[in-house]
Amino acid sequence: MAEDLVLDTAIRDWVLVPLSIVMVLIGVLRYFVSKLMRSHKAPDQKIVKEGQVVIRARNLKAAANFIPAKSFKSRKTYFTNEENGLLHIPPGQAPNPQAQMFSDPNMATDMMKKNLSMIIPQTLTFAWVNFFFSGFVAAKIPFPLTQRFRSMLQNGIDLSTVDVSYVSSRSWYFLNLFGLRGLFSLILGEENATDDTQRMMQMGGGFGMDSSKSLGAEKDSLDIIQHDWVLPKFEQRAEAVLRKLMK
Amino acid sequence: MAAKDESKNSQKKSGNGNDDLVLLNSENLQNNMKIIFYSRTFLSIIAGVIAGILGLTGLMGFILYFFIMAISSLGLAAKAKFSVLNYFDSCNRIILDGLFGGLMSFVLFWTFAYDIVHIF
Repeated sequence: MAEDLVLDTAIRDWVLVPLSIVMVLIGVLRYFVSKLMRSHKAPDQKIVKEGQVVIRARNLKAAANFIPAKSFKSRKTYFTNEENGLLHIPPGQAPNPQAQMFSDPNMATDMMKKNLSMIIPQTLTFAWVNFFFSGFVAAKIPFPLTQRFRSMLQNGIDLSTVDVSYVSSRSWYFLNLFGLRGLFSLILGEENATDDTQRMMQMGGGFGMDSSKSLGAEKDSLDIIQHDWVLPKFEQRAEAVLRKLMK
Repeated sequence: MAAKDESKNSQKKSGNGNDDLVLLNSENLQNNMKIIFYSRTFLSIIAGVIAGILGLTGLMGFILYFFIMAISSLGLAAKAKFSVLNYFDSCNRIILDGLFGGLMSFVLFWTFAYDIVHIF
């Protein structure tokens, strides 16, 4: 332990702890700001209608085994028949989502707002950390790492002799950025704004999706579903439960 | 541990108990998985603080993490009365879900507690 660095306790009191607390508080603030900025625009009637049809078809698919074969067949025809089924879209009528996106400026602003609410606090915090805390050795990771991690963990310290497990304040910031996600999901609940990657993916899916395509996919999956009524077996089970209660 | 027990009280019975045929309500299944995720995240943070305060370094800390995760798997299984398939679609849900997602939180809190207690 002779080669250990001696870190001033003032670094703990004025760098490590404040940095972490600020990261948490900024995360909470960002959550509430993005909640405030979320705009509620009235959605297009046609899109809502199609979305509801898809949901109904999905419900039918999920509960297919709880209804008799005849009922399932009639419902399936209602959804998928080639003349006027709800899921059937006549070819050539599908709207072009790309054009729709450009014609609707609200969508773009919305996306930009979301992105900005993520990027601005991050940039600001990073600049703040850089300005106040650059060059501190702020922490030590309790497990050994190889030299490859030096550039990652000692961002801002230009010494090659310091042990790799020492972490600079700027890298402590990054460590916080990734590690606090779990904490945020605990204190902010399910749909917290910090889960950037997942949201990005959802957003990408939401924008690129052609509504007629999702209707078609739903139709196909309804077509191939195998119907198997499960309720006859439930009668025996209900009987068993009731008999148990009678005793 | 108290919060974990508490959070799992909302776990709902979703299977029907038949051995030959088990149906799962997807909403309940999702609720159960959410609870697993929460308890794992919570435990990984707690495990990090424990490892940091005990001053574990290197491999010992990770061993503690996986040990606590194994205990939580066992606890979840016990909560499901050891008939896991009544609550989840596969056994891996209890054993593996969220195991590596919590690792980052664990490392962060481990480092934090370790530094505060032992380094300075």
